[in-house]
Amino acid sequence: MAEPLERECEVFGRYLCGAPPGDYVRAQYLAAHAAGAVEPAGGATRFERTVVALARSGPVAARALDAHARVFANGSLLRRKLVLMLALLEVRAPHAEAIDTPTGSSTLAMFAALVWLGLRFAFTVFVTALALLPVRLYCALGAGNEGRIGGAE
Amino acid sequence: MKHVVVVGSGASGVHFAQSALERGWRVTLVDVGRTAPAPVLPDASFARLRHEHDDPAGYFLGRSFEGALFPGNKGEYYGFPPHKGYIFAPLEKLAVRSRGFDPLLSFARGGLGEAWTGGSFPFTAGEMVDFPFEHGEFAPYYGKVAERIGISGAVDDLAPYLPGHAHLAPGLRLDEHSEALLASYERSKTRLNRDLKCFVGRSRSAVRGDDRGERKGCTYLGRCLWSCPREALYTPSITLRELQRHERFTYVPDHFATRVEADGANRVRRLHAEHVATGAKRAFDSERIVFAAGTLASSKLFLDSLRAHGGVAPTLSGLMDNRQVLVPFVNLAMLRKRVELDSYQYHQLALGLARSDARHYVHGLITTLKSALIHPIVQSVPFDLRSALWVFRNAHAALGLVNVNFHDERRGECSLALEVAADGSSKLLVHYEPSRDEPARMKAALGDVKRALRMLGCVAPPGMTHVRPMGASVHYAGALPMRRESAPLTTSPAGESRDLAGLFFVDGSTFPFLPAKNLTFSLMANAARIADAAF
Ligand SMILES: Cc1cc2nc3c(=O)[nH]c(=O)nc-3n(C[C@H](O)[C@H](O)[C@H](O)COP(=O)(O)OP(=O)(O)OC[C@H]3O[C@@H](n4cnc5c(N)ncnc54)[C@H](O)[C@@H]3O)c2cc1C
Ligand code: SF4
Repeated sequence: MAEPLERECEVFGRYLCGAPPGDYVRAQYLAAHAAGAVEPAGGATRFERTVVALARSGPVAARALDAHARVFANGSLLRRKLVLMLALLEVRAPHAEAIDTPTGSSTLAMFAALVWLGLRFAFTVFVTALALLPVRLYCALGAGNEGRIGGAE
Repeated sequence: MKHVVVVGSGASGVHFAQSALERGWRVTLVDVGRTAPAPVLPDASFARLRHEHDDPAGYFLGRSFEGALFPGNKGEYYGFPPHKGYIFAPLEKLAVRSRGFDPLLSFARGGLGEAWTGGSFPFTAGEMVDFPFEHGEFAPYYGKVAERIGISGAVDDLAPYLPGHAHLAPGLRLDEHSEALLASYERSKTRLNRDLKCFVGRSRSAVRGDDRGERKGCTYLGRCLWSCPREALYTPSITLRELQRHERFTYVPDHFATRVEADGANRVRRLHAEHVATGAKRAFDSERIVFAAGTLASSKLFLDSLRAHGGVAPTLSGLMDNRQVLVPFVNLAMLRKRVELDSYQYHQLALGLARSDARHYVHGLITTLKSALIHPIVQSVPFDLRSALWVFRNAHAALGLVNVNFHDERRGECSLALEVAADGSSKLLVHYEPSRDEPARMKAALGDVKRALRMLGCVAPPGMTHVRPMGASVHYAGALPMRRESAPLTTSPAGESRDLAGLFFVDGSTFPFLPAKNLTFSLMANAARIADAAF
């Protein structure tokens, strides 16, 4: 059980701060799951769990699926896990310092980057929405599976 | 010797007790009085805590991660520090059922004031026209309380709305963002004052810049929300600790007051209480009993006492609270700057919107974002988290929040009553309905606030303004108003009940009107005034 969670922690840490999160953050990530702090009220759906499993495959997938979840399922399991990871990174040096530091570009470059981020985000949401359609269908068709499943990972 | 029994160690209770002791009374203070955990690494700043604490997640997020705010939270921009959970931990003995109101009670030593943000804003004469005494009679008590607790600020453009008083110490060092906003105000104030009747100035805060006694001056650790380890930021438990050294003061913690007992002439004689853990009963005899349990708990005590005395408990109408609206903003001139974590964390500026009726003045607290847990904010940026984090890193120093407060007045439809169960136990029923003109008032004021922000070079991102539910400001008042003329369910100008002689209310229960300003400074001043007027 702990193995996919550890991998997930590694991937999500890399996705958010570009580096492995370290032993302390990993231990806390596991502890939060053990404490049941991450599960959405009423449990996660099969689709939500499938999205998390896909996001675990690497930082690029995590980012794409996060964008999708931000628009279509903000309170879903993936978003909750990522927010937990961010909360853990921000309270622990050295990640905390990086989070407090501006990226240092000029104002013009910053606004240009913002436009680029916006366009990329919109494109990613569009592509992932299409790509996840079969997954949605599969989850919906599988034995009453769109219902919520409580409990552990 | 004259003896008074006080219920509650919040801001109201301890300042009443201090004045009563100064006037030669013996004081017994009965309190539930839950205690705070010891401060950790008291010299470390917020930034250093993240290096030096051996379990920062436990400290900032809690052992059950209850301090982590996930998507879909109630729209608040910060979570409450887990180690301060004792302040709001409910007590089964005081059950509440509410409609239209999110009540918050505290059973901590020091009460809700252990969690406050120190905003200390004196009422003006215009805001006190409904009070049954002259403003001139009340104003000196602001100076008295300021001397006790330390208030910093300045007499500036806000002075017509925030009067000066004795013992007002100079404001703390401003953070860079607050300084930039104030400079921007100086440049555009002619238009702001003329077109919007909007005034900006230094906030008034119960925080000391200098060392005094056991309290140390603010050294800008940026940990105010996590409890100031230097006690520069005032909390009522500091006064309680000082009172406990007084030979005529007796503190009785772990006791929940259940009711007062009165004689045939409707004079109080005794306070009944129960041990919180064991339920053991205890009585405190006195002909003077003072309720300072906070408006909701004091009202429940009063209703339970009337029920025990006469068999029925009436409905108390006129419950008030300030509606608060949070308006986040981005100051474009501060984008890409490095955030100053070593700063006083709470509001350093205030904003006032003058209105033709002085009672309708609108008050805003301007807090620039410095040290904070940022995950609740980053998750609200409409991007994936990595992009949102990039945006946040460049915008952190530019972010701020205006907490806009609105006045409230006593209305019949807002009430407190008892629901009595078959076993004789009772619940407090809270019912609140906003006034009919509230949407229009709010729309006009929020429009003005957003225009003012634009004139200051800031933008309020659309869709992020958050109307807090009633009850969230925790400025409760008005259930038993002070009146000159005698009537049931009112008190005298000195806070004495017209129903049970010898019973006094020194918390917000007796305020006949609630200006838009955070009321605690006025609660403390009023408690000290009542001690002088009637003891
Ligand atoms: C997060 C936050 C920020 C705030 N910021 C500000 C601010 O900036 N400025 C401002 O003016 N106000 C602020 N407030 C509001 C302020 O804290 C309260 O108005 C004030 O503390 C109320 O004081 P009180 O003494 O009347 O009652 P309380 O603080 O409620 O104290 C009640 C006391 O009575 C005791 N008690 C209750 N019932 C019983 C019973 N039956 N038997 C025995 N003991 C009992 C409790 O243990 C407690 O000690 C804030 C509040 C919060 C929560
Ligand atoms: S910044 Fe806040 S926590 Fe730090 S010393 Fe000042 S009041 Fe205390």
